[in-house]
Amino acid sequence: MKYEIRIEDGLDDGWTAWFDGMHITNEPDGVTVITGQVADQAALHGLLAKVRDLGLELLVHAAHQRRASIALPKERAMTPIIASEGLDHALAIETRQLTKTYPGGVEAVKGIDLAVPPGEVFGLLGPNGAGKSTTVGMLTTTIAPTSGRGRVAGFDVATHPIAARRASAVVFQEPVVDRGLTGRRNLDVHARLWGLDAAGAQKRIAAVVEPFGLGEVIDRPVDSYSGGQRRRLEIARALISEPQVLFLDEPTVGLDPRFRFELLDLIAGLRAQGGMTILLTTHYLDEAEQLCDRVAIVHHGRIVALDSPAALLAHMGRDLVELRLAGDVSSAVSSLRAQGLAGDDTFAVGATLHIPLHDRPAGETVATITDLGLGLTAITSRAPTLDDVYLQLTGESLAA
Amino acid sequence: MTTVTSTVTLDTSTVVRPRPRTGGLAAVATLARRRLAISARTPRELLIPLLAPLLFALVVVPALADTFGTSIGGVDYMTFVAVATIGLLVPLSTIQSGLGVVVDRLGGGLRDLLAAPVSRPSIVAGNLVVAVALASLQVAVLLGAAAVRGAEYDLSATGVMWFAAATLGFAVAMYGAAEVLANRLPTQEEYIAALPAVAIVPFFFAGSFFPISALPAGLTVIGKLLPITHVLALVRYGLADRNGAGLHDIWGMSNTTAMAALSLGVVALFAVALMAAAVRTFQRTAVR
Repeated sequence: MKYEIRIEDGLDDGWTAWFDGMHITNEPDGVTVITGQVADQAALHGLLAKVRDLGLELLVHAAHQRRASIALPKERAMTPIIASEGLDHALAIETRQLTKTYPGGVEAVKGIDLAVPPGEVFGLLGPNGAGKSTTVGMLTTTIAPTSGRGRVAGFDVATHPIAARRASAVVFQEPVVDRGLTGRRNLDVHARLWGLDAAGAQKRIAAVVEPFGLGEVIDRPVDSYSGGQRRRLEIARALISEPQVLFLDEPTVGLDPRFRFELLDLIAGLRAQGGMTILLTTHYLDEAEQLCDRVAIVHHGRIVALDSPAALLAHMGRDLVELRLAGDVSSAVSSLRAQGLAGDDTFAVGATLHIPLHDRPAGETVATITDLGLGLTAITSRAPTLDDVYLQLTGESLAA
Repeated sequence: MTTVTSTVTLDTSTVVRPRPRTGGLAAVATLARRRLAISARTPRELLIPLLAPLLFALVVVPALADTFGTSIGGVDYMTFVAVATIGLLVPLSTIQSGLGVVVDRLGGGLRDLLAAPVSRPSIVAGNLVVAVALASLQVAVLLGAAAVRGAEYDLSATGVMWFAAATLGFAVAMYGAAEVLANRLPTQEEYIAALPAVAIVPFFFAGSFFPISALPAGLTVIGKLLPITHVLALVRYGLADRNGAGLHDIWGMSNTTAMAALSLGVVALFAVALMAAAVRTFQRTAVR
């Protein structure tokens, strides 16, 4: 059975060697055509899988026949050539039971499942040590998973790490730019590593420098940058390759409030442009609330809640009454429950009791509780935040 | 003729645009440019390392020649020691290059490279290219300055090839050792502390200032096992000693070309083994 495969990228000599025995022509329009013969459709699948294994995206244009033919639609992107059992190829990021145990037995990630569709801004929310950065590390192939699977832009990070890295970019929590080099050189190195030629790199550098406010400093050594400028450079650098998936690992940590808000605006701008999938890790709840379509709350290496910020907040009711107690918290909860003031979702963190209010008016509830004589040192009511969601899920729960 | 419609399931919900890819050589070239830019950002950073070969060629070696000035195996002592200084400069230069790997690891640059769509061995290869280039520059300056100061070379095309092959193999081997140490040792301090054992001590057992036959018998055996001994014998054979006295001290054979080939084989073996170890160590330690 004769086949014809078209690849939009030209193949250079280093790659054509792999296709030994097949006929390869580089056409003037930059398309490479590979033709040859295979025994049957299964063999063609195997061939395509191998091509895919090299990290090439294929455009299967047509196939010809001698005795039979494979008629494949023209100009269709073939992302999911290699079957990954149980994983959905349409997702931009997907993990199944992704686990990481560091040497010494520290279980950083304990079986995380994620399914992030293209174009979504997805937040991993949790405190330091929750496993967020380790998850990003595994998806960017800088940390080896202990078990489980992950795919980025359709590529399995274990079996096709280079293709997964090519389709993505990452801004790490810690600064990783070469400080001795100029901003422009840093951008250029990144562009070239992601496969852009010299002209393409310059074009992309020009495209990101001004929007990120780096025009005046781009030819200065990064040593001389402020923290905010360096962070902007790192994000600009990640965008040089126009990644399908962008990982932002605690992008605002350590920045002063002004730079932090600048960066949040930048990330919001990326979100507004659409098209790019962003996985953002943060322990700032306002960031997650402001930027993310959906948020996974991570605690001790596990996802304890996953939904849109609005849906997560909805579980907390319209208002939250916060009581600081001088006496025994458990007996106070018993009294409140007996009065019908506290539900099963009431929770305590230390000596502070949190009562989500779903129907009852906040003012009336505060007045009633104050009159109970529970030994309060303070009582307030306010709108719930993701912080409360997190505390309820991970703190000391009285509802249990 | 039968026409069969494919049952290949194509998912078009995610339209992935074909992306340019970074070929192996292109990646190494980019990584080498990065390493060079970091290692030699200014002319001063490039020139200061050249002071060592200049000092050796213009001051130390002539002083040694004045003090111990006889010829060894028909090679004047000035040339004998000047050429041998390669055995000190190359390890020092490559170990210095390896320090960049430690800095990359501790400073975060390595993690960034690990996230790039290039093969992991190409990261090592990019560093290797620059390390060898900088070592070669030092060797060229050493030999040029030594010639100015009076070293006498007996050059032939074949001899230069023996010299070049031996020096290249030695630089690769020493960089391999540097990369292994840089990935194994947790701090810059520990890395620097390892420098004398790797780069300096072997120099004294390799026939640098005197033939290895002048060493006590036990140390001669040790000297023969060191790649640097074979390198020095080869570079002297290639540049100054067509009789191959150093090679004869090692192999004791009559066919000089055969002895040179054997010594070059030893150097190549060390180069391949140490680079393989370097790549393996990098891959095992870089990704946790």
